[in-house]
Amino acid sequence: MTDTGLELGASDLDHSVGGFAKENRDYYTGEFEKIQGTTGFPWSWNTMAAVVGPLWGAWRGAWGFFWTFLVLELFAFVQLGRGLWGELGADQLAKVERLTANIAKREQQAKEAVAAGDQAAADGALKIAENLKKVVVSAQEAADKAAGEASTILLIGIALLIAVKVIEGFYANIAYEKQYLGWRANPDKVQAGPNTGSAIFGGILLVAIWPLTLFRFTVTDPDKILSSLTGGFLGGSVPITEFPVKKEFYASWAKKGDAGFDFLANEFGTVFNGVTATIRAVLDFLEIILIQTPWPVVMVVIVVMAFRLAGPRVAVFTAASLLYLSFMGLWELSMITVALIGAGAALCVIFGIPLGIWFGKSKRAYTFAEPVLDFMQTMPAFVYLIPIIAFFGTGKPPGVLATIIFAMPPVIRLTALGMRGVPEATKEAAVAFGCSRWQLLMNVELPLAMPSIMTGINQTILMSLSMVVIASLIGAEGLGALILEALQYAAKGQGLLGGLAILFCAMVIDRIAQGMYRRKTEGQ
Amino acid sequence: MDEEVIRLENVWKIFGDRADEAMAAIKKDNLTKAEVLSQFQCVVGIADCSFSVPRGEIFCIMGLSGSGKSTLVRHLNRLIEPTSGKIHVLGKDMISLPAEELREMRAMHIGMVFQHMALLPHRTVRDNVGFPLQVRGEPKSKRWATSQHCLNLVNLDGYEDRFPRELSGGMQQRVGLARALASDPEVLLMDEPFSALDPLIRRQLQDQFMALSAELQKTTIFITHDLDEAIRIGNRIAIMKDGRIVQIGTPEDIVTNPTDDYVKDFVEGISKLKLVFAHTIMEKIGKYKPARGEALSKSPRVPHDTDLDHLIDISTETTQPIVITDDDGKDVGVINKSTLLKGIKGGKA
Repeated sequence: MTDTGLELGASDLDHSVGGFAKENRDYYTGEFEKIQGTTGFPWSWNTMAAVVGPLWGAWRGAWGFFWTFLVLELFAFVQLGRGLWGELGADQLAKVERLTANIAKREQQAKEAVAAGDQAAADGALKIAENLKKVVVSAQEAADKAAGEASTILLIGIALLIAVKVIEGFYANIAYEKQYLGWRANPDKVQAGPNTGSAIFGGILLVAIWPLTLFRFTVTDPDKILSSLTGGFLGGSVPITEFPVKKEFYASWAKKGDAGFDFLANEFGTVFNGVTATIRAVLDFLEIILIQTPWPVVMVVIVVMAFRLAGPRVAVFTAASLLYLSFMGLWELSMITVALIGAGAALCVIFGIPLGIWFGKSKRAYTFAEPVLDFMQTMPAFVYLIPIIAFFGTGKPPGVLATIIFAMPPVIRLTALGMRGVPEATKEAAVAFGCSRWQLLMNVELPLAMPSIMTGINQTILMSLSMVVIASLIGAEGLGALILEALQYAAKGQGLLGGLAILFCAMVIDRIAQGMYRRKTEGQ
Repeated sequence: MDEEVIRLENVWKIFGDRADEAMAAIKKDNLTKAEVLSQFQCVVGIADCSFSVPRGEIFCIMGLSGSGKSTLVRHLNRLIEPTSGKIHVLGKDMISLPAEELREMRAMHIGMVFQHMALLPHRTVRDNVGFPLQVRGEPKSKRWATSQHCLNLVNLDGYEDRFPRELSGGMQQRVGLARALASDPEVLLMDEPFSALDPLIRRQLQDQFMALSAELQKTTIFITHDLDEAIRIGNRIAIMKDGRIVQIGTPEDIVTNPTDDYVKDFVEGISKLKLVFAHTIMEKIGKYKPARGEALSKSPRVPHDTDLDHLIDISTETTQPIVITDDDGKDVGVINKSTLLKGIKGGKA
């Protein structure tokens, strides 16, 4: 021990390790000192842990150790069991039996065909029987070979068990020393010393897991043997290979779900129609601009917009992409797609930004919204396509709606994030100069949150694009429908060309949006 | 100088969900800070603070971090609501002020400068300075003219079209000061304005601020954790500890008469040479017994408000004790070498 207080003396450590280990204090003090004194492998052996394995972990509260070696030992035991009493090759033997029966059936068919005078059918059946015989031979060989492997598997099992025990013995103290460090930092949460209760709990887990698993993997037909073993008691019909529940249970619940959706679709029909009408209005407006306006006008406007907003390089890329779309004859489909995305993204932004502002300001609202947003983003699109069809029918507006559900969360989240990221000090200063809430929002919060909001809009646009193909499943036309068609007929070329078209649309929109924002920020 | 601009009476601020209960309990049972924390899970931010500031004074509030000085200054424009007490600024009862009038007070009459500048990064310096006027709904021409004027005041002309991030910390803080001056408020609240700056820039800005405030004569509340700064800038200083004001007085008062050990510790390292004056350490002329060879008639005569630094200079040029005169030129006291040395050491005879 030194007077500087910088080095922890051995006696201090002793005391603390002793308090942690509670039993075998001196042993653990010595071993931990060894572990802490080396940078290499400490070679610290714990016989107790090696002998009782996972139970030692449970007793000492080292649950990571417990679970790891529960699985490893079980694996070794399964090998041992297979070597000792497992009927190896049983599955192959069963196959032989099944095939032999099949061959007999085919030969019977052939005989009947001959009797009926249908020589061709008889030849066919005989040919099949011939082929099956070859398979039987190879299966028989495999079964014999497997039976011969029993002793090898037994040896492997023994070797595995010994290896696991050795690892347990050497690893136990290392794991326990880690637990000791955790205990020092968090003495109330980490178990110190052995505990009979947790040892019993570990024992129960072992009894629940080991025998049944061992039984399942070392016996050929566990369900049959189990029912014959417990016949009277379990009624002979409780399998362990699959959960014993009847299909009707699921079907009745699914039927209830159907009824619920029908009820909602009937009751709130007006609301759903209103939503559809709104989306259709936005969509129509965009389609007039993009499709009904003559194509040279639209192309020129897009390229000039790219040039003005994002610079010459993006303009060149845009022009090239547009040429690709038009020469492949995909111009109109592309514009339908862009209108679809545009409507989706516009509605996302119109509703997403105010929601984001609200969630950014009110912690409580955000707490409620967060699971809904997670749900919208993680729920596979196919799942909510079904209720969308139920409520809104098929066609473009439901497609836009599906897009909105998937693409709205990023703009909401990133707006909320941006709002929360506005420094308190800046807001406070604005309030100190007499800002009203509205002035604060318009002059301070929104401008400072703008980078985050722009990122959100960009994300939303790109996610809308990724929904194009899925939306086509419920009848939204455009490039998505083209690809869906290609998928149905395995039309590789069509799929590739359509995919490239979507990619170019996405890149043009993304580059223009990003370039626009970059120019704006560079302007500052 | 006598008109009262700011008056605080028994202001308390208690943070926590059960602040009102805690306040009632404090008034009834006189609980300590620790008792309030353990019984109500509430933190006492400001405890029973009272002071008043006359027009044109620079009133420094000095304390270490966590002493409640920033919380206290935020009560003056009600960025923080007090739990109890009265706050009057420019004759208005700030606590009962309706929202609309409160915003008007903030926009027209109370300017504020922040430790971390808190400028708007997306606006040019000119638009930052003009922000308080924009909030008031002034047209752009007026805003720009005022910004120009205020930037002139802080010697930042030529930077109008820059963005805050293009400026150094010191310059940013001058923009902050210009912004606070833009609405030409009667009251300036300065929350550790120079603390985040390096010492050299800090000193420059202190000088600039002192020159400016001598010119503008704004009533100023100046928060600092640096006693040197408080002494340099303040007409009066309030020292805070744990949410309480432990002493209010002129710099000389504080240095020569610390009320408790806490203040004494602070004052220890402060040079007294320019803070202590002849009248504080002199012996009354009637009580002084001249030593052999001394004749007061030959002594140099200096006015009573000469500081120690100056007295030392005079003392080195004479063997005679120094005679101190009052405002009318009448001899009132004497300082010889030993009184002077005691004065330098202890601050008081």
